[in-house]
Amino acid sequence: MIGFDGKVLLLTGAQGGIARATAERFLAHGARLLLTDLDGTALEELGRRLDPTGGRVLTMAQDVTVPADALRAVTAAVERFGRLDLLVTAAGLYPEALVRDMPDDEWRRVIAVNLDGVFFTTRAAIPALAPGGAIVNVASMAGHRGSRAHAHYAAAKGAVTSFTRSLALELAPAIRVNAVAPGLIDTPMVQPLMAAKGEQLLAQTPLGRLGRADEVADAVAFLCSDRASFITGETLHVNGGLHIAG
Amino acid sequence: MTTNSSHAGRVVLVTGAGQGIGAAIARAFVAQGAAVAVLDLDHERAALTADELEAAGGTAIGVAADVADRASLAAALDRVVHRLGTVDILINNAGISPKHDGAPAPIDAMDEAEWRRVVDVNLTGAFLAAKLVVPAMQAKGWGSIVNMSSVAGRTYFPSIGVHYAATKAALIGFTRHLAGDLGPHGITVNAIAPGRIRTPLIASVPAAVNEAAIQATPLRRLGEPIDVATAALWLTSADAGFVTGQVVDVAGGWLMT
Ligand SMILES: NC(=O)c1ccc[n+]([C@@H]2O[C@H](COP(=O)([O-])OP(=O)(O)OC[C@H]3O[C@@H](n4cnc5c(N)ncnc54)[C@H](O)[C@@H]3O)[C@@H](O)[C@H]2O)c1
Ligand SMILES: NC(=O)c1ccc[n+]([C@@H]2O[C@H](COP(=O)([O-])OP(=O)(O)OC[C@H]3O[C@@H](n4cnc5c(N)ncnc54)[C@H](O)[C@@H]3O)[C@@H](O)[C@H]2O)c1
Repeated sequence: MIGFDGKVLLLTGAQGGIARATAERFLAHGARLLLTDLDGTALEELGRRLDPTGGRVLTMAQDVTVPADALRAVTAAVERFGRLDLLVTAAGLYPEALVRDMPDDEWRRVIAVNLDGVFFTTRAAIPALAPGGAIVNVASMAGHRGSRAHAHYAAAKGAVTSFTRSLALELAPAIRVNAVAPGLIDTPMVQPLMAAKGEQLLAQTPLGRLGRADEVADAVAFLCSDRASFITGETLHVNGGLHIAG
Repeated sequence: MTTNSSHAGRVVLVTGAGQGIGAAIARAFVAQGAAVAVLDLDHERAALTADELEAAGGTAIGVAADVADRASLAAALDRVVHRLGTVDILINNAGISPKHDGAPAPIDAMDEAEWRRVVDVNLTGAFLAAKLVVPAMQAKGWGSIVNMSSVAGRTYFPSIGVHYAATKAALIGFTRHLAGDLGPHGITVNAIAPGRIRTPLIASVPAAVNEAAIQATPLRRLGEPIDVATAALWLTSADAGFVTGQVVDVAGGWLMT
């Protein structure tokens, strides 16, 4: 049984489609949550909706590309809830550009959010994470099979997978570190892609549909739970069979 | 909140379930309210495990069969369908890893009969079981299959034989192709690649081999059968409904893919 009673989760990019489903799942499983994203005001609203009493959900603005924000978030979680057990890094940015046209600042921005952000948040969280805790990074199918017109994104996500493995070695046996690699999940992030070649992509997916955000959330919850207590350094693919390899 | 209430009432066939990992898987499914067929070559082990599960208040039957023998397997499946209904979830777990004085035979000393038996049990057994249960899954439009591979099928692992490694790698190809074929029928197919798990299977090697494995494992322990069982539960649950064609390592970080 998956249960997070007494556990505290820090979730970045919490306003996103996958992260919101993750917040709902962890709340239902008994966890207390610190939700962070860029827009603090919008987050407050999300927090109130998820937990009208305000007892189990705290929200806070965190730009994952800013190291000091990560420290503030970890401190806030520990001050408010007394501990930190789980970290899920879901903040992400997925703009479209061919490499030959890609401006320097776009490359840097995408690496900063998708890769540096994972590093800054993780580094800040490590001293606070309680033994028995777990980290799940949201990587991507793009990091495994490439993504045309998203080379920066795919490069960053591939790096997150390697970062996950290295961190698993570094934090074992006290903390387990894993990643989920979603395929095409029905969130606003994939709408432009689906509009351009959705039919073709669904035809290539054995399960014949887009994934739902809650299906990724379930994989994140599994990896954070005691049910996965011998799993570390692993990447769990949630893609309906669109990428079956490695 | 239980995440696997989706297993209540499902009919689950676990091969090689008389002991070790298979028995832990059977136990885990019964605890979720599923009806489990405990299939094993060893009749007594199958019966004992099923009795234990029934005594604990679950629904389980023991069936004896050799997964490598189509007729034997088909007869066992008939009993399962008759007693419990058609199979919703198949766990292809039966497997053997022959040793000689605690070590695998090197290729020049491996006799053909031993090679053939390992291929028949570990690989053909999974094919035969899937072949027999898939039609009913297709008819229902739902099903889930988990094949027990091994880290030895993904990388070099000392202390096992070349036949074992070959079949465990082949199970991954089998898993991937079947997932592609059966996805449109609402059937998911995945594999688990356990690392060193504390079962009778690994008791046949010198203790130093297992101690070395622990030292090479970031989580610094052997896995327990329940560690594999919880992964099998998850992969066949509604929670993993969009996960197919994948191989999940349950290896404490010994291998990371
Ligand atoms: N949707 C998919 O199909 C898919 C597939 C593979 C991977 N992913 C990954 O899953 C994660 C969530 O994706 P989603 O689909 O929910 O996307 P989303 O766009 O809905 O959510 C991403 C969130 O990250 C936040 N964010 C962006 N930059 C930030 C920054 N600098 N600091 C803090 N927060 C920032 C955004 O505000 C947004 O709320 C991302 O890491 C994404 O790369 C998604
Ligand atoms: N224990 C480990 O470290 C480990 C690691 C990786 C993979 N595995 C795999 O997990 C599976 C279970 O392993 P275990 O450690 O529980 O083994 P085990 O030897 O303890 O149990 C295997 C069971 O399968 C049964 N069996 C053997 N041949 C059969 C046949 N032809 N038909 C029906 N049943 C048969 C045996 O009677 C036994 O009860 C195997 O496929 C094994 O290769 C185990």
